Amino acid sequence: MEFLNLVLIFATAFIVLRRPGRERLAFRLLVVSTILMVFLFSMATRTGLLPGVNY
Amino acid sequence: MDRTSSAVTGTGQPSERPDRLFIVLTLAILFLTIVPVGTAVFWLGFARGDSPCVMCWEQRIGMLLISLIGLFVLRFGPQPKYIGMAVIISAWGLFMGLRHTGMHAARDVGQGFSLEIFGAHTYTWALFIYWVCVVVMGALLLMVRSEHLRAGPRTLRGIERLAGGAFLVVVGANIVQAFASTGPPPFMGQSDPIRFSFNPRHWNWSLKEWNPARISLRGRWSVDKPDLATLVGDPAAGPLVNLPMLTVRERKPLKLALDGAPTDVAYDPATDQFLLTTASGVYLTDGTLGRVNRHTIIDGGFSVDLGRIAGAAFLDEGAVMAVGENKSYVILRPNDHASANSNFRFFLASRDKFDEVSRARFGTVRARLLYIMSAAYDAASNSIYTVTVPNNRAKRLVVSRFDRRDLTLSEEYSPPLSPEAGFTLVPKRTLDELAVTGATVADGKLFALSAAYGTLLTIDLGTRQVVAAHAIPGLRHPTGIAIKGGDLYIVDDAGMLTVVARPPAQGSD
Repeated sequence: MEFLNLVLIFATAFIVLRRPGRERLAFRLLVVSTILMVFLFSMATRTGLLPGVNY
Repeated sequence: MDRTSSAVTGTGQPSERPDRLFIVLTLAILFLTIVPVGTAVFWLGFARGDSPCVMCWEQRIGMLLISLIGLFVLRFGPQPKYIGMAVIISAWGLFMGLRHTGMHAARDVGQGFSLEIFGAHTYTWALFIYWVCVVVMGALLLMVRSEHLRAGPRTLRGIERLAGGAFLVVVGANIVQAFASTGPPPFMGQSDPIRFSFNPRHWNWSLKEWNPARISLRGRWSVDKPDLATLVGDPAAGPLVNLPMLTVRERKPLKLALDGAPTDVAYDPATDQFLLTTASGVYLTDGTLGRVNRHTIIDGGFSVDLGRIAGAAFLDEGAVMAVGENKSYVILRPNDHASANSNFRFFLASRDKFDEVSRARFGTVRARLLYIMSAAYDAASNSIYTVTVPNNRAKRLVVSRFDRRDLTLSEEYSPPLSPEAGFTLVPKRTLDELAVTGATVADGKLFALSAAYGTLLTIDLGTRQVVAAHAIPGLRHPTGIAIKGGDLYIVDDAGMLTVVARPPAQGSD
């Protein structure tokens, strides 16, 4: 899934750098990548979502 | 459609003068892209074979997303939606760094996960880098002028194009590494990734992270505090069968003015005094438990958080110790001339009866993440003992010994049942089910009273084995035990005193 997210990031950067007219698409891809990052991190830490220390 | 401006003027018209905002932003993008992420993929990954774990991957991706937002700003100006996304991702990045560092921060010196850079492991640097991102973003925002917000797509200058190119190269390298070490969807990163290799025969793609698992906020740290009300007191329901019964000599209510339910008791034959504790009170009574000689109420919130006091012991030279459920402790010394003003910080009441000697915490290994409800002092070894109680996460009966001289963990074990003990465990039951709420030492034995199943264990401190066990009838939520002469003095949370005949000597000394 990280592979997919990095491909999305690459595509977004390419649009920003080479196809600036498609800013809305680029921004949407940025949001999707962010959500995917949050989802994957939460998946990986779902057995203890908060830092495992004293509070 | 690109315009040729490198900056904007107050009228929104192009200017040939380089804009400080975009110069600093470009340098920040280059730094963030090349130093942490570029180093991670080219040097740590391709050169040294390091593969990121699943959490490292997301932290790395978060940094790339912040750099990517920088490219958005270079191209389209500092629009509020970009700033908002950058703040959200940085905040999430800080959380990821805290979550990841929290797993390893309390380990011993030099220990950690995976590689170390300049004396700190990679996840620690991630936390720092996200913090730097926030600081840099704040500085950049100070440079934003209203003209920037009205600007359209910009033509990128040389160094800005370089930043874009560097970003694509670093992301491309990460794509290669991600494909090799995590694989295409639905495969995802791993908790313990194997060494990176360009050889496909060494690739190991995993779906393990998709396996069902219980969702929890704090995981193994979600430990409930001890609750006597949940315990079954009937010895017949316990893990040990055919236990001999001790004779109850007397049962009566304590007629002492305490500030709460008793949580432990200890006896000092040298002064013929009992030491009683409540959740925050320390009481010295006469040898009949009929009169309070002196007492004080600990301010448990001052400095070290003592929590609820659950263990009490007389130490050497008249000092007394009260230990909290969280293994924090306070040592007091009776003093008829104690200064009430000086002790204002330590005590909530009766501040002129004791001096506080020290207040700190016991550190444990096997007993970590387990609460305790007992404490005992052994003069022969000059040591303090505690015994754990089971909780919703773990059931382990662990005896911990702390040397009195430095109050540091010196021994820790789970005592097995001695073959000579003369009784057996019910199949599939263990001593770990017992909840020791009172403990005392005499003649080389640790007498550990379990509120669960009303069972008294005799643990030989030399062989570290349970050499005897007895049932005590009629106990309800006992909280402490002391030995005076040939009797056991047991207090409970209802303020009752039960006097029981001490078990006959058994096992080796």
